[in-house]
Amino acid sequence: MALLRVEHMTHYFGGLRAVSDYNLEIAPGQIIGLIGPNGAGKTTVFNLLTGIHRPSEGRILLDGEEITGLAPHHIAGRGLGRTFQNLCLWRHMSVLDHVRMAHYAKISYGLMGAFFGTAKRYRQEAEIERRSRELLELVGIGHLADQGVLNLPYGAQRRVELARALAVDPKVLFLDEPTVGMTPEELVQMMNIIRQLHEQLGLAIFLIEHRLKMVMELCHRIQTLVFGEVIAEGTPAEIQGNPQVIEAYLGKETVE
Amino acid sequence: MTGTDQATVTRGLPAAVGRLLAGVPLLGWLLGFLAAVLVERTIGDTLAQTLGLPKMPVLFGILTVSKVIAEIINAVVKNTAFDPALLVHIPAALVYLSVVYLLPIAAVARLGARAANRAAAIMDRWNLTIPAAVHIGLMYLTLHIWAAMSDYRLITLKITLIAVLLTLSLNIINGYMGEFSCSHPGFMAVGAYMSSLFTVGLFVDDKVLGKALMPWALDFLTFPLALIFGGICASVAALLVAIPSFKTRGDYLAIISLAFLFIIKSLFENLQGLGGARGIAGQPDWAALPVIFVVVGLGIWSINNFVTSTYGKALNAVRDDELAAEAMTVNTRQAKMTAFLVGAFWAGIAGGLLAHVVRYINPAMFGIQKLAEVLAMVYFGGLNSVYGSIVGAVSISLLGEALRPLEILKWIIIPLMLILVMIYRPTGLVAFRDFDLREAMKPKTEPGQRK
Amino acid sequence: MSLNFFMQNLINALQWGSFYALIALGYSMVYSILMLFNFAHGDIFMVGAYIGLGVSLVLLKVVGTGAAALVPGWVVLVATILISMFLTAFVGIIVERVGYRPLRDAPRASAAITGLMIGIILETSNILFLGGQRLAFPQLIESRTYNIGGIFITNKKIMIVVVSIGLMLALHQFVTRSRWGMAMRAMAYDFVVVPLVGVPLNTIAVMTFAIGSALAAAAGILFGLSYPVLDPYMGVSFGWKAFVAAILGGRGSIMGACIAGFMLGFIEIMTVPGIQIINRLFALNIGSNLRDLIAYSIVLAILIFRPHGLFGEPYSAKLRL
Repeated sequence: MALLRVEHMTHYFGGLRAVSDYNLEIAPGQIIGLIGPNGAGKTTVFNLLTGIHRPSEGRILLDGEEITGLAPHHIAGRGLGRTFQNLCLWRHMSVLDHVRMAHYAKISYGLMGAFFGTAKRYRQEAEIERRSRELLELVGIGHLADQGVLNLPYGAQRRVELARALAVDPKVLFLDEPTVGMTPEELVQMMNIIRQLHEQLGLAIFLIEHRLKMVMELCHRIQTLVFGEVIAEGTPAEIQGNPQVIEAYLGKETVE
Repeated sequence: MTGTDQATVTRGLPAAVGRLLAGVPLLGWLLGFLAAVLVERTIGDTLAQTLGLPKMPVLFGILTVSKVIAEIINAVVKNTAFDPALLVHIPAALVYLSVVYLLPIAAVARLGARAANRAAAIMDRWNLTIPAAVHIGLMYLTLHIWAAMSDYRLITLKITLIAVLLTLSLNIINGYMGEFSCSHPGFMAVGAYMSSLFTVGLFVDDKVLGKALMPWALDFLTFPLALIFGGICASVAALLVAIPSFKTRGDYLAIISLAFLFIIKSLFENLQGLGGARGIAGQPDWAALPVIFVVVGLGIWSINNFVTSTYGKALNAVRDDELAAEAMTVNTRQAKMTAFLVGAFWAGIAGGLLAHVVRYINPAMFGIQKLAEVLAMVYFGGLNSVYGSIVGAVSISLLGEALRPLEILKWIIIPLMLILVMIYRPTGLVAFRDFDLREAMKPKTEPGQRK
Repeated sequence: MSLNFFMQNLINALQWGSFYALIALGYSMVYSILMLFNFAHGDIFMVGAYIGLGVSLVLLKVVGTGAAALVPGWVVLVATILISMFLTAFVGIIVERVGYRPLRDAPRASAAITGLMIGIILETSNILFLGGQRLAFPQLIESRTYNIGGIFITNKKIMIVVVSIGLMLALHQFVTRSRWGMAMRAMAYDFVVVPLVGVPLNTIAVMTFAIGSALAAAAGILFGLSYPVLDPYMGVSFGWKAFVAAILGGRGSIMGACIAGFMLGFIEIMTVPGIQIINRLFALNIGSNLRDLIAYSIVLAILIFRPHGLFGEPYSAKLRL
């Protein structure tokens, strides 16, 4: 059964059709890539699936349950972690606090615990902290846990986002251009981390990416989005050979 | 690990004093202050007389100095007679300050540093409640002795403590959550009126509220109930602001809360059953110093618990990037509502306390001026910080008292200081600092002594 | 309610609303263009009124009063308005320079606090230098009352409404037609990118404060003509209400601020006869000093149903911290 299934999703901004009849199926453990020229609507698809916008038409099912129209925090809580294209970090918070925050839906000590510091609270907070540090180790920035997030180099900030997204216990991990603006070195590291996450945790990943080389190497299947419509879907080899994709996408963009 | 904190300052007398006092733990300072108030209790009056001061300086001698300055200004501007003998008061006040406060504090803190550090180290191994009780007990003892020396001190201290609670409760909303709320005096008013209704209505024969409904015997045991009742009513009022405000993002809380403040004030002015514009007077004198100290302490403790929990940190996430918070499972609307209601609750409690300290309330007390005052305290002290709220409330209150002899000039000096703080430290003096009691009570490494 | 009675109150409401509208424009411009709450603006209105008082007294001394006057009263009035607007614009510029420009990169709330503090300083300085008594504003033009079909209108009321609307139209022309006006609108749209294309942010900010303050000065003088007593705290009571009106109008809308200002005036004036009528109809005894309560409840209701104001566009900015 598909972990994430999107059926006939269409969305209008005002009168403008941003996404039309979009379909998607992600099986457990699969990495799906979403490519397309600038302005094709890739991030809009992400925002629709994560609940930031409510789709005008269509259905979204996560693990068999309908999540269409739920608030973003509900969708995230059901197991959909994401990163953002332009970093969305909390500027006054430490790295560790970022990852802890993403456990919000899991804490259950309630307001009593928050105000009066019950034993349950300290137990849960300690558990969350332990897990957060683990996740930070996993993405290779365990030593930066107590730093302020603004002091970090760009590559490390990206990893904070990644650790944060992992903390929601995602069934599917959404990565919105995880390597944008990275140096070649950081790029290789990031690819290794993604691969490692996929292997160790068996995560399903939905990836928007501009660098075709990376998409071709990582993904099992690739969708090509142009003007809000999927014009081609298939294995990396199929996509690479598809004349429509080459015309709409490769013909205009330089391939690295 | 520590030790290097103070190492950057190297030269001059202040630096030398700083180095000398760097190794003093909180316990040492508290003992120093205790010693100072004991010294004042014993020799304060005599010393003041010897120095030629009319009476014992009530506010560390600052008030004495500003009185002389006020006299000088009056002499220059209004040509009133000025007695040059008054000038002696300035050095006298300084001597008083040094002999009674600075020297005993420094001496006890320094000489007792080793013992205090040892005690702090032992207590550090125990459950937090014991060292906390020791420190807070010492603090209360000091304040109690200090305040017992004059009625003026007592009332100033009470009002300052209440201001701390009020400032912290607004800091939750304006600092931790990063919204701009203007309705805090309104919540205070609700708390003040409702708790007064409770106490005056039930226990006092009053012109407005009628005969006492309950026997006096139950008296002050019900005071906490009255305060909580006031706080809950303030929270309910806050719900009216919160529901429309947090539906959309943007500056609408600022406007809606401002409109709400006008409405509440106008409501109390018009409710003849609550005394109308004249308000309610004759609240029973139940807000004694220990009561206020405990309530304010509880407030600080529970608010600090809240803001350091993941629920509380969610407010920071909402403030810094609401979209990201939402995407990381934070129920932003719920988080904001909770914080707003909690802020209002404690503002209501503060209002209730204030009503029973000054023992009269009227709608005019809770207007734009109060708003300016509490905003000044929050932003002066520092956003997102318990320390900041304490610093802000205490410094603005004390400054207000110390500059009182300067009359109207006070309202130029304080705003100017706040403007300077805003320009050089836009988030306030001690912003974004976590309050950790255990950390604060830890023993300090003394200079020249490696661990 | 008889039509006459209604019309009479409507005219009063128009006059009362002009003050709110003129002040609200200043708030609204600063809020739209710089995304700041200028809490000092109410006190700039007060300063403007006092400057108007000073200017008119000087002018009266120069040209003389009564029959011996060199020029008629209305000339003095026009001169007073123009000179005071000019002078008060500088007060606005100083406020911007001292209180807002150093905080350009600071959280917006901090700038709001400096504004609030500058307001307090202005009030205090007034008390300090003028002694804090209420001062009488000279009546520059003779009051005449016209009876039009049973409705009494004074020439002052007409003049106030006409001058206010004239100033609003002038501002509208400036903002839509002139190059600087368009730059201001662009800035309101995006104050991060627009400076990059060569529109100097500081110039725009100065201009915004200057124009807003000039309008507040005009409002102050008109207020002085109809309610001829000035006091140092007139800006507090008036300013905060006008601020609510400005936001009620919606961000980035000149028309919105004006209409909301007039509306607030209308609601405030109309509640008193409204309550009287309700009392008579239902034999109730509601106090007529419920004015604020009713006015702000209506404002609150409007904001609940139109959270972005009457004419504002939805946007997602919030206080930057």
